[in-house]
Order: sequence, then structure tokens, then C-alpha cells
Amino acid sequence: MRLNSLRTRVTTFYVGMLAIALFVFSLAVYFGVKAFLTRALERKLSNNAHSIVNDYLVPLDQKGDVWFADEITESYPPGYSDPFVRVSQGSKILYQTGDMRDPFVNMSEIRLPSNPEWFEKFHRETASGQRIVLFTLPYYAPNGSVIFVETGTTTEPIRHVLRSLLLILLLATPLILISAAIGGYFLMSRPLRPVVVLTEQAERVGRKELGERLPVIPTGDELERLSLALNRMIERLEAALDHNHRFSADASHELRTPLTIIRGELESLIEMPSLPLPVIEGIGSALEESSRMAKIVSSLMAISRLDCGGEQIELVPVDLVEIVRVTLEQMGLLAEEKHISLRFEPGEATYVAGDPMRLKQIVVNLVDNAIKYTPVGGDVSVSVTTENMKAVLQVSDTGIGIPPAALPRVFDRFYRADGARSRESGGTGLGLSIVKAICSAHGGVASVESIEGKGTIFRVELPVLQQSVPLETVKVTPIYSK
Amino acid sequence: MPLKSRGQMKRFLFGLQLHFIDERPNNSAIIMRILLIEDEQKVSALLKRGLTSERYAVDVAADGIEGLELAETYPYDLMILDLMVPRLTGGEVLQRVRRKNAFLPVLVLTARDLIDDKVRLFELGADDYLTKPFAFAELLMRVKALLRRGPVNRSSTLRVGELELDRLTQQVKRGGRRIELTAKEYALLEYFMQNEERVLSRNMIIEHVWDQSFDGITNIVDVYVRHLRSKVDDGSTFKMIRTVRGTGYTIRSGNET
Repeated sequence: MRLNSLRTRVTTFYVGMLAIALFVFSLAVYFGVKAFLTRALERKLSNNAHSIVNDYLVPLDQKGDVWFADEITESYPPGYSDPFVRVSQGSKILYQTGDMRDPFVNMSEIRLPSNPEWFEKFHRETASGQRIVLFTLPYYAPNGSVIFVETGTTTEPIRHVLRSLLLILLLATPLILISAAIGGYFLMSRPLRPVVVLTEQAERVGRKELGERLPVIPTGDELERLSLALNRMIERLEAALDHNHRFSADASHELRTPLTIIRGELESLIEMPSLPLPVIEGIGSALEESSRMAKIVSSLMAISRLDCGGEQIELVPVDLVEIVRVTLEQMGLLAEEKHISLRFEPGEATYVAGDPMRLKQIVVNLVDNAIKYTPVGGDVSVSVTTENMKAVLQVSDTGIGIPPAALPRVFDRFYRADGARSRESGGTGLGLSIVKAICSAHGGVASVESIEGKGTIFRVELPVLQQSVPLETVKVTPIYSK
Repeated sequence: MPLKSRGQMKRFLFGLQLHFIDERPNNSAIIMRILLIEDEQKVSALLKRGLTSERYAVDVAADGIEGLELAETYPYDLMILDLMVPRLTGGEVLQRVRRKNAFLPVLVLTARDLIDDKVRLFELGADDYLTKPFAFAELLMRVKALLRRGPVNRSSTLRVGELELDRLTQQVKRGGRRIELTAKEYALLEYFMQNEERVLSRNMIIEHVWDQSFDGITNIVDVYVRHLRSKVDDGSTFKMIRTVRGTGYTIRSGNET
């Protein structure tokens, strides 16, 4: 489960929304129930008080105290305590039900009504550690005396219910959220499944042949439009690549045919007997240049094919250390000629997946370049190391260096940091571009550091071969390698 | 023989070339007939001229259909086929020719250097290929190699004039004087001596003695040849290793002069 996947994001979002909804709902339920229960209790207290006044106090004058005591005792027996009833006149208690039992509340702890603010109102008291709600109803008797009827009860049952409710809400909310998250996550996989398939297919098409197309998801929704749009994009890409290949092949043919003729004509000319020396020199020079031009054409074509991904690269496990060792052996004399010490300390075998010939070409071009730009008596050293799953090939020299302004351009085609100088040595101006193109085609990076007058370090990083990855011949398509 | 990789292909090719010792065609030899299918008139004229002067009989066809008709009518000893010919592509010509004649050696000329193409060509039955532009010397060498398939010279000693190279002991002597050579210099000299009197282009030398990853740096050939020459020719009046301006190098025995 990736944290930034669409599936996770959608699930998180909707679980979040659900959490907010559940919270609001819980609050509403809690306070709604609380208000409802309190109101019901209060109505009961108020009803009782009013009925006592109406039924027993109003007729009191006519029927007398005994009748009152009998009647009220019958309706509200002393053991009856929910609600309790107390009828008092001043500090004299006319009648009261007994102490409350469940929970226990000592009636004598409840203050007699004294505060006029309590009259015909509900107020709350604490007695015997219990919260009690009381309703005080004053009855103004015709003889001028005031009789208070109080009804009351503990709020404990309400609070009990509310506590249970709160507990249920607290437990239920996270459970609902968790199951919603899990359910939603798996539910999301259904609509997202085509996207996953589409992605895999697109990866495959991108890696191998562009000839294939993505399966169109016939859902009529955004996904179908997406797959159609992707297919149209692949089509355009394929057309562009095809065009590039055709152009490349045509250009190659068109350039090479005249070169073949030039070369052939010059060769047959130079074999004519008794030519004056200047003529031989001239033809020879023209032949050399035609060779160089042929080399430039083939290098350009190689780069263009590597860049636009038209070439099969055969991936085999290649030991970079061994490649460097063999290559340096084959080039030793070039360094020796200039009394340059060419150093390489072969370390542990470092395997990368690649085309041995092309990887070798990287070494050849970099070392040749280093020797070319290092004055007599200098040093060129090559190393192969491994850093964070990357095989690093480094070629450093004590040469003339590259001016900082030229550094970003050294891998450009035909770029020459020193103007005319290197052209004399018969180069094509494409050596480093080829290094870069081969590098990109192998999923690697080429870079350069240099201090003018001190030396230059070229660095090539290639992914180290992992044994678990199956090797296959891939059509390299580093279309965006620039 | 399916050739899978370029490396294999190259080993195969050079393995073959290694054993062909030059036997110049002489007057008594049967004249070899070559069919050249090439649409570029100037190229075909050049090749025809060059090959004719080497005593081959050359027929030229300017397109695939014509070439195929000629190939099916006359018994040729070799076909040189340009890949990009009109009316029928080189690949199709090759395929159709192979259906009827499995033994005709075919040298393919190509102006493209797509690796896929080359591998496919070998699968279709090409015996060798040459990328344009090429030195005529190289074409000639390959033509000769293809025509001489069969008898192989396995002689262990190569001789050019007073220079002697023993392949078994890897010793080189000039007029009895031992010459110490490095491995690369030895390979270079062996290649020269196999091709006595023949001009070897820098490309041919690189492909044979090094490999194509050294393509970009032709001066490596010059440096190694210079060293080899100083070991072989210093102290002798006759210089055996010669530079052919604009083309490459050659070794001469000096017997005829």
C-alpha cells in the first residue's frame, strides 16, 4: 500500500469525511437524548407538583388535614421516592415521602424552599453526594399562608443513560471508521483495477514495441477516454519515431553513396602510374578526409539511433573491471607514446547489464580523450567503484582541463572546447556524445568535472546488475534522455 | 549456422579470413564470374572496373528483378548485392536466390549500419557484408575470401621476404635476427603478413586487431604501426612496412624490386 496512491488518497479522504459526519452525528445524538430525558423528567416533576396542589391542597380547607394526610399518603406512599414529594409550610413539613433509596438520599439534607427564585422553577441541588433536580411550586392558600410543594428526583438515571450512550458512541465510531477504511480501500480497487492494468500495459508498450496498443476499457467513462488518449499519444510517438528511423536510414544512405563513389574514384586515381608527388599528396589527403567523413556519418547515425531508441541493445552481464583492464591493455601504447602513466587498479568484479562492445566504447573514448588532452609526462587514471547500487567508472587526467563555460557543452555533438586544436588529431568531435548516448541507453549518467590547467574527471554511472532482474534484450527508448 | 550476436558473427568472419592466404589469380586459372547488383551507376562502374582489372568477369544488374533473372540464368561464383536496390529489396533478392541456390556466396553491401539488419541478413543467408563507404582493397579481400572457401592454409609459419613469423612459438625473425613484440604488435604483424602486398585500411586493421569499439580513434593504428615498424625495419635498408597515403598500410617483401 503506497501512501501516495490514488486509492489511498481517496480512501483517506472519504474516511475523513465519514469521521466528521460521525462526530457531528454523535454530538447531536448525545445532546438530543440529554435534552429529551431532562425535559421528560422535568415534565413529570412539574405534573406531579401541580396535581398535588390541585388534588390535595385546593380542597384542604374543606376536607381537613386528616383527609389530606390519608389521600396524599395513598397516592404518594412514604416508600415512594421517584420522585419524592415534600409538602411544607414555612419550616413545618406537612408531608414528605421517605428518604430516597436508589441511590440513597437523606431527605433532611435537602434544604427547604427559601429562595423565591426557585418558585415554579427547576433547580438543582446536591444532597448525600447525589445531584438532584427539584421543582418547587408555591400554593397561596385562601387563608394567606404559603404552602410549598416540592417534587424532585436524582438525575442519576439520566446520567447513567448518557454515560452508556457516550461509551457506545466512542466505541462504535472508530470501529465504523476502521471498517469503512478497509472496505473502502478494497472497494476502490474495483474501479481502479483498469487503471492498474492500463499502467502496466503502458509500461510494457513503452519498454518494448510501440506497435502494440493499450486495451481500450469499454466503460464509457473517464477511463475509456484515458485509454483512447494514451493510444493516440502512442500512435503519434510511433509515427515520430518511424519518421526518425526512416530519415536516419535515408540520410545514411544518401550520405554514404557519394562517399563510396568519392572514395572509389580517388583510389583508382591514386593507383595510376607515375603521378607527380603533389597529386599523390592531394589525393591522399582527400582520401583521409573522406574516411573521416564516413566516420562522422556512422557516429552520427549511431548516436541518433541510440537517442531515439531504434536500436536493440543486447543486455548481458558485463564485468566493468574486466572491460577496463582489457581495454587499457589494448591502448597502452597510446599513453606510452606520450610518456603518460596510465593507471588502473583492478578491484572486485563489478557487474552491470549491458552491451560489452558499447560499454567498451565508453572506456575507449574516455581514455583516448584523456590521453589526447594530457601533456607529455602526465597521469591518466581509471577507477571502477560501486556507490549506492551504481557502478561508477571514473577517468581522471592531469591534462589541460576544460574552461567552466565549456563544461555544460562537452557532451554536445561536434562541440570542441579548444576550437581547432583537436581537429588536427583527426577526431570526429562526437566521441563524448557517443559516450553520453551509450550511457543513457544503459540507464546511466555521464558527467564531467574539471579545473582548467589542472585536469578533468569524467564520471559514468551505470546501474549495478541485480541478480533478481531477468535480463532481456530491450529496445532502448530513452526518448527524454536529453 | 545461426549467428546470434555481433561478437559471434565477427569471430566467425575473421576466423575465416585468418586462414586465407593470398593466391593471386593467374592466367591459367578459370575466370571467376561475379554478379553485381547495384543501382548506383557510378558505384557499379567503379566496382566493375576494379574487379575486372583483378581478372574477374563481372555482370552488373541495376535492380532486384534484373539481378534475380541473371542469378537464375547463369552460374555465378559470387554475388555482390546492394541492400537498397529498386523493384526488389536486397533482402528479397537474397531470400529468393537462396531458395534455388544454397551455395552461391553472397557479399552484401549496405549503406545503413543497423545491427538488426545485419543479423537478419545472416539469417537470410548472406555470407559477409560490407558497410559503405569501403576501401576497394577491403572489398577485394572479402571477395577473395568468399571465393576460396574450402581449402584452408594452416601452415604454422608465415613468410614475407626475409621476415618469418612462427605461429606456434609466436616468434618473429627478420633475416635470422629475433624481434621481440608485444601481443598487439604480434597480432598486427600477423595480419599484415597474411595479407602480403595488400593495402590494409585503418578500419580493417582496427576491426581485425582491436574491435569495433575502437572505431572512433584511428590514430591508435598509426601509433602501433609506428612502433611495429621501428622494431621490424630499423637497421634494415629495405623498409617492409609501408604507408599508403590516404588508405592505410601494407607489407612488402622487397623480393621483386
